[in-house]
Amino acid sequence: MTLTAEAPTTGPSTAAHTAAKKRRKRSESLAGYAFLSPWLLGFVLLTAGPMLASLYLAFTNYNLFSPPEWIGMENFTRLFDDPNYQQAWKVTLTYVLLGTPIKLLAALAVAMLLNNAFSGKGFYRSSFYAPSLIGASVSIAIVWKAMFIDNGIVDQVGQFFGFPAGGWVGDPERTMPMLILLTVWQFGAPMVIFLAGLKQIPQELYEAASVDGAGAGRKFTRITLPMLSPVIFFNLLLEMIHAFQIFASAFIISNGTGGPARSTLFYTLYLYFRGFQDFQMGYASAMAWILVIVVGALAAVFFWSSKHWVHYSGEGK
Amino acid sequence: MKRTLWKTAAVAAVAALALTACSSGDSGEAEPTATSSGPDTSPVTLNFTWWGNDDRAARYNEALALFKEKYPYITVQTSFAAFPDYWTARSTEAAGKALPDVMQFDLSYLREFNQNGQLLDLQEWVDNGTIDLAGFDETLTTAGVLEDKMIGIPTSTNTFAMFQNPNVIEQTGATFPDEADYTWEDYNEFIAEVSGAGEATADGYALYGAVDYTGTFWFFIQWLLQKGITPFEEDGTFGFDEADVTEFLDLTADLRADKLVYPVDRGVSLAPKGGFTVNETASEMSWDNFLAGYVADSGTDNLAMAQIPSIEPGEKALFFKPSMLLSAGANTEYPEQAATLINFLLTDPEVGTIFGTSKGVPADADQRAAVDTTEGSVDAQVIAYEEKVAEQVTESTPIPVKGFGTIESKWRTLAEELAYGTLTVDEFAEQWFAEAELSTM
Repeated sequence: MTLTAEAPTTGPSTAAHTAAKKRRKRSESLAGYAFLSPWLLGFVLLTAGPMLASLYLAFTNYNLFSPPEWIGMENFTRLFDDPNYQQAWKVTLTYVLLGTPIKLLAALAVAMLLNNAFSGKGFYRSSFYAPSLIGASVSIAIVWKAMFIDNGIVDQVGQFFGFPAGGWVGDPERTMPMLILLTVWQFGAPMVIFLAGLKQIPQELYEAASVDGAGAGRKFTRITLPMLSPVIFFNLLLEMIHAFQIFASAFIISNGTGGPARSTLFYTLYLYFRGFQDFQMGYASAMAWILVIVVGALAAVFFWSSKHWVHYSGEGK
Repeated sequence: MKRTLWKTAAVAAVAALALTACSSGDSGEAEPTATSSGPDTSPVTLNFTWWGNDDRAARYNEALALFKEKYPYITVQTSFAAFPDYWTARSTEAAGKALPDVMQFDLSYLREFNQNGQLLDLQEWVDNGTIDLAGFDETLTTAGVLEDKMIGIPTSTNTFAMFQNPNVIEQTGATFPDEADYTWEDYNEFIAEVSGAGEATADGYALYGAVDYTGTFWFFIQWLLQKGITPFEEDGTFGFDEADVTEFLDLTADLRADKLVYPVDRGVSLAPKGGFTVNETASEMSWDNFLAGYVADSGTDNLAMAQIPSIEPGEKALFFKPSMLLSAGANTEYPEQAATLINFLLTDPEVGTIFGTSKGVPADADQRAAVDTTEGSVDAQVIAYEEKVAEQVTESTPIPVKGFGTIESKWRTLAEELAYGTLTVDEFAEQWFAEAELSTM
């Protein structure tokens, strides 16, 4: 609205040709903003506004019912003494550090298999991609839970092979592997991106390497990996940020408790509990901002380090 | 050209505003109805919400169909959720001052929502006769009064009972102690006897005496009352300390150590069901209105009800908990119609027949009389139980402190960790008190 309000300020027209041109340019850019306005308004009102509000709330004691009360850094100092908060970091980092690389390795491996020419490729590509389309949904988390529960299909198969009986859902040691398996299973999206990256690698390079007598392993480390590094960088960054945001599957599998024994108390889950179950909105806002800063810093480190390991063809590196 | 451009831009801007604004709820349809003489019969729509399972939803729908017949001008839109999610939704609505017109309420959250005047003072509608509390005991009408405002009226009362599954007890050859004067130690022995029998269900799951009862905060309160301690003072402070918490948790320390209570991992995977509702435990302590749900979930219709154990033989120190309060949001545009709905649900005899004792024994005398008490029915059993223990009900209901819902759920999570062995009894007490301090301040 503020942008469109500038309309009447377009000054009275002069005869000068350049002024008219300028004006047309100006009105074009205003029109551009006007057409952008649905998005801009959405961004300001629904994203930036609430974010700023939460920045303020992070320094207050706010329980949703009475007005926020300024308490300075108290929320942040409290976080350091909160054993649940430490647990939330531990759980989340374990998930990010294990889940992301395993998922990307699976994606790359399958992408390389699918990159070979064989019949029915399209079918396999679609079926590997399918899980990541439905993966974020509530229903798949419920299915996953049913599979891994006491006497569920996984338990029965496991018992057949001599593993001890008992579901994964109720065992604090096995809930994390279960959730990591769930994310790894959804490798479709990075796989498709890897596949596109693999197709970009010029075949001449491989041919030349063959002539020079390089084996498959050498071709992979010397050609495929360097040529693919921009794609790896992109996938790694995306998947890492995505992993930090895990919520729905953990919420459903733990029955909305972060249990058993806090083994699925992910950062976002704990944030939600603090905000909407304990009504400590200030505390939850402080947590949210720390997460934003940490993920932002990690992304910055990623970009900085990319200079050293990401190769863009044509740069002569 | 220029005009069309700006027109388009304006349309786009307005569209954007409309899109972003549609989440802010219904914009006032009508002015609040004035409290004139005689009921206003212009058509209105009320929002009504409750927590509970499908069984309760079916009963509410039946009752509301009846309401529609009697008050055709009031349309009731309903929604329901499980207990924890229910409060998440209500608290968010409270922050936006958009609570439902009428909602089911629990004592434990009354104080929080009373801050800032989120709930309607129903006294005015009781005084002018819209809500008729003639059939209520006075202790019940005051249960939802805070700071001289009647912000909730209980539908029913609950008290604690010990449920037994006679089939499991018989299979394990154990004998339940004399319900009149057994102690917590006697109950522990019973649990150990059943669990130690080594029997299993047809599916091969071992049978147990009970879940670890120290995992429920309300039982701790009950135990404190038996000990002669008032759990919460008027000013919101606690009447107990860390030593009381550890003493209570230690009641079942041996059972936990010897793995004689229902295994926590099995319980976690069964949730929201439990060992008792899958016929794997012999007994379970709970609110007496749970019988209907237990029978439905377990498919066992010969479940029995006994009294709970005590510290000193025979001194149960029970209390009636006013439950399923009905409240109205202070933001309602139709307070009179909301009061009409509340009155209907609280006092209509047919509603009493529909719900039976599934929400507890009805608070209203007419509704109580309308409950179907065919010999041997679930409702008859619950009513007979409350009559049997009436003279054991010696305590008044503990006043829930602010943040009660939070400290209650905190107790539950810590108890789970205690069961997994990742926490000691002392750490439990310490962490719980740290949390309680923050939640109740």
